[in-house]
Amino acid sequence: MSAPLVVVAKNSAEHKRWQYVQWAYVAGFVLLTPLVLQPFEIGKMNRALIMGVAILAVNLVVGFNGMLALGHSAFMGIGAFVTASLVQDENWDYWMIVPVVLIVGFLIGVVVGLPALRVKGLYLALVTIAQAAVFPSLVNIDELGIAARTGGPNGKGVSEEVIAPSYWEWLPGVDGARGGSAYRYWVIVLMVAITILLVTNYLRSRAGRAVLAIRDNEAGAAVYGVNLPIVKTMNFAISASIGSLAGLMWCMDKGFVAGQDFTFLLAVDLIIGLVLGGVGAIQGGLVGGLFVVWVNDLTKRISIPLGLYTLNGDGPLAKAIFGLILILFTFFAPGGIVSLGRIIVNKLIKVVPLTPAGQPIEPLSNFDPGMESTRADVAMKMSIAGPVLLAVGWLLMNVNNLLVGVLAFGLRMGILVLAPVAMLVGSNELAAHADGNRPDSAKGPATMARTLGALGFLFVIGYAVQRFVLTY
Amino acid sequence: MTWNFDILPDFIFNGLSLGAIYGTVALALVLIFKATTLINFATGELAMLGAFLVYVLHMEQGLWLWLSMLIAMALSAGLGILIERSLTRPFDPSDHLPVVLITLGLFLILNAVAGDIWNYQVRILSNPFGKFPSWVPSVGGDRFIEVFGSRLKYQSIGIWVTLALALFILGLILNKTKAGLAFRAVSSNVESARLVGVHTGRTLGFGWAIASAFGTLGAVLVAPQLGGVNPNMMATILIYALAGAALGGLDSLGGAVLGGILVGLIQAVLVTWGGVVVFGQLYMSILQLAAAFVIILITLLFRPSGLFGTRRVERV
Amino acid sequence: MALLEVSDISVRFGGIRALDDLSFTMDEGQILGLIGPNGAGKTTLFNVVSRIYDPTAGSVTFDGQDLLALSAHEISRVGVYRTFQNLALWPGMTVIENVMVGDHTNTKSNVISAALRLPSMRKEESDLRDRAWAALDEVQLTDVAYSPAAGLPFGTLKRIELARALIANPRLIMLDEPASGLTHAEVDSLAQDIKNLRDRHNLTILLVEHHMRMVLGISEKLVVLNFGRKIADGDPDVVRSDPEVIEAYLGSS
Repeated sequence: MSAPLVVVAKNSAEHKRWQYVQWAYVAGFVLLTPLVLQPFEIGKMNRALIMGVAILAVNLVVGFNGMLALGHSAFMGIGAFVTASLVQDENWDYWMIVPVVLIVGFLIGVVVGLPALRVKGLYLALVTIAQAAVFPSLVNIDELGIAARTGGPNGKGVSEEVIAPSYWEWLPGVDGARGGSAYRYWVIVLMVAITILLVTNYLRSRAGRAVLAIRDNEAGAAVYGVNLPIVKTMNFAISASIGSLAGLMWCMDKGFVAGQDFTFLLAVDLIIGLVLGGVGAIQGGLVGGLFVVWVNDLTKRISIPLGLYTLNGDGPLAKAIFGLILILFTFFAPGGIVSLGRIIVNKLIKVVPLTPAGQPIEPLSNFDPGMESTRADVAMKMSIAGPVLLAVGWLLMNVNNLLVGVLAFGLRMGILVLAPVAMLVGSNELAAHADGNRPDSAKGPATMARTLGALGFLFVIGYAVQRFVLTY
Repeated sequence: MTWNFDILPDFIFNGLSLGAIYGTVALALVLIFKATTLINFATGELAMLGAFLVYVLHMEQGLWLWLSMLIAMALSAGLGILIERSLTRPFDPSDHLPVVLITLGLFLILNAVAGDIWNYQVRILSNPFGKFPSWVPSVGGDRFIEVFGSRLKYQSIGIWVTLALALFILGLILNKTKAGLAFRAVSSNVESARLVGVHTGRTLGFGWAIASAFGTLGAVLVAPQLGGVNPNMMATILIYALAGAALGGLDSLGGAVLGGILVGLIQAVLVTWGGVVVFGQLYMSILQLAAAFVIILITLLFRPSGLFGTRRVERV
Repeated sequence: MALLEVSDISVRFGGIRALDDLSFTMDEGQILGLIGPNGAGKTTLFNVVSRIYDPTAGSVTFDGQDLLALSAHEISRVGVYRTFQNLALWPGMTVIENVMVGDHTNTKSNVISAALRLPSMRKEESDLRDRAWAALDEVQLTDVAYSPAAGLPFGTLKRIELARALIANPRLIMLDEPASGLTHAEVDSLAQDIKNLRDRHNLTILLVEHHMRMVLGISEKLVVLNFGRKIADGDPDVVRSDPEVIEAYLGSS
């Protein structure tokens, strides 16, 4: 199967419909997460989101600028300790600290980045790896009042809890009984959303294109007026300030920071998340963050039954699995999970861009398979596959095994994509049939796809609404 | 504040022997960098694995220590070849990211495997230079001789002699053997080496092999100073070695050794001795590691190609 | 007055003289063909003018301004642009984005205005996109505007480079072997295109090309290099019958 099932013009009514479905899913996940998950699971989700922001920061340098930054754990640490100290020692509000953390991160990024980025080569990797190794011990220095502010080897607790003010208690999941994790979730979601929005805008602009141009061809970029050291350093410093922001979120979420939280291993986790999620893809950060936290958790749970050596419940197995994942992804899926997802999306839908005059760059009819179309059949199969996978997934849930459980979850999620695609493709094909552009034999499958797909989609929406109403 | 110069030679000796070890590991880094312009982040873990091989052969199987070291160096050389062949050769060497990721992955796997087999407790490994051998006339006790009123440990002398010997052998290999000459050709210019018929892949494997053997040597020499071997033993050593390699020049073999020694001296004299004099001993280890970071930054600011680097550093 | 003045430029790599006391001038609006056998130093000259290489001696002035005082990223500010023999496109971006970066020098939006999508930035961006489209239209490539630059045929990529240089309203374009990899028919249409572009945009064009028929067809002045030295320059019809030029070409090929 090569041709996409759906071809739409950019910003056309149909394209918008697809985008609505997408946004509805995003909104659904964001709203349901704090309601469906247990408080400790919400905590993990928070951690995943924070890792996601940090990975996005690393991605700015590694994925979009082609430079190697291996020490963002230190930037996170700086953000976390600045926050802890300002909250605990100076009684600042978290919101007031955001600009401080951004500026501090930026300046340190310039100091670390400029020497290494003036010259060509792997020097940034060298500097940043040393920075990651040094950071945890720096917070223990007694001079200059550093240890007093950071808590030294004991770490620093923040007694100022992030508790929802009464006028925010209508937020899903936020109430007294569930503790503060749900409210922190909402604060973090807001910060993540703003960060992603700003970074996306940055990358899709003159400044961002200069960053990408450097990655793809430095000589070409220079000849066209891109000041290489300045743009690289600027981008690295922006990345450092976003890393520091992740540190602020970390401190806010955990309420405790210690040098040992920000070791080289955290930096390696960020790199793994980056590779897993997708190097050079903005969504890669969030996907990678989720997977790093989840795989870490999973391996912790299976090392003990396997009789593997564990230290503080965190066995070496997790690291070995991460190492293996890193190597396997580098070999077989260098674009990460996002690129695998894109392969699927490209098979489903093609968006035809517009000329400045607002016309599709290529007539949509060029993509129409006409009387030979097999789209209706494919859609019908998808409309059947959705419920079948759902049922199989449901049955497998009863098997008490971690891996089967993961598989079952994945199968059940299949309907989220299959049902709306079947529904929309089905109705497209029916319309084409009405125009006399499809054989009569396509009418049956198309009708079936539309009906079954719509039922499936209604089921998904209904289920989500029901969960929402019951738990809210 | 009193400038206590009496204890200075102690620190210098200590710095020189630590530095020699950093130089050995830095050499392992540079051997790979020179040939591929890559920094092998698994260098430290490969060396650690080598040290554990010595531990198994010597402490558990009772083999003679020096024989165990030779076997371990040979085995890690083989592992180096295997890694180069199977994991890094498929990638375009001009694109750094994939190979760096591979070496990071190896770093994690090797550390975890060692952690699972030997767990994270420190295991004692005999010091190859614990006592002067009986044929040396007794000089100021069994473990040290007096020089400038300070104790020069047998261990320090042993490390220097071993490193000198290893460098001599490396020099012979690079200058006299066919593989060594091919390696030098490849590391000065891959394209022309290929044109005159050098098998570049095999040669890079040779670089990995020598580098792994040198790493193992460094790890075995450093083990007594750390109280023994453990899976995380090379973490900080690698940072000092990186600083040494950067200081000496990432493409200079001699520079790596000298850079490593300089880093050891800076660490022992400037930071530790200075620290004792100025602050008391409290912050020693903290500032030592920070010094490595500062050395890298300063090198890049003022002399990006390093003290002895020859490759023209391209300004961007 | 000459627009570009290259005087006594020498470039040495180790013991090799890549360029040896090279001098020539070109006038505004001229198409100057720079020819010579492989390794004669043509691309080296491009790299000197675009400040990728530092010459060992000599000077380059453009419209009275000392180019050697500028660094590589500042050359575009005076209106000097180039294409590359082996392409220096950005394969990770779409074709139209490649062309949009072409006008990096004359656009202004910065990180802050971009992150916040201020109205000034949005206006500049949509204007830039329209101009990039127009530049692509001039080289007949609007149909691939939104494709990734990676994976397009070599001839197409060459034309993208041309569009990328055109968008910035250059005064001087240096074309490094624009016809390499093209078919005969494509070469003829390219020659015509270059002439038309020059007339339409008041360009001055410094052309390095091996394709003799094309160079002789469109150049108004020829400079011939051999082993880094200039062996002839002037009117194409005169130069082509110069015995030293014939010798250099026959002797080498």
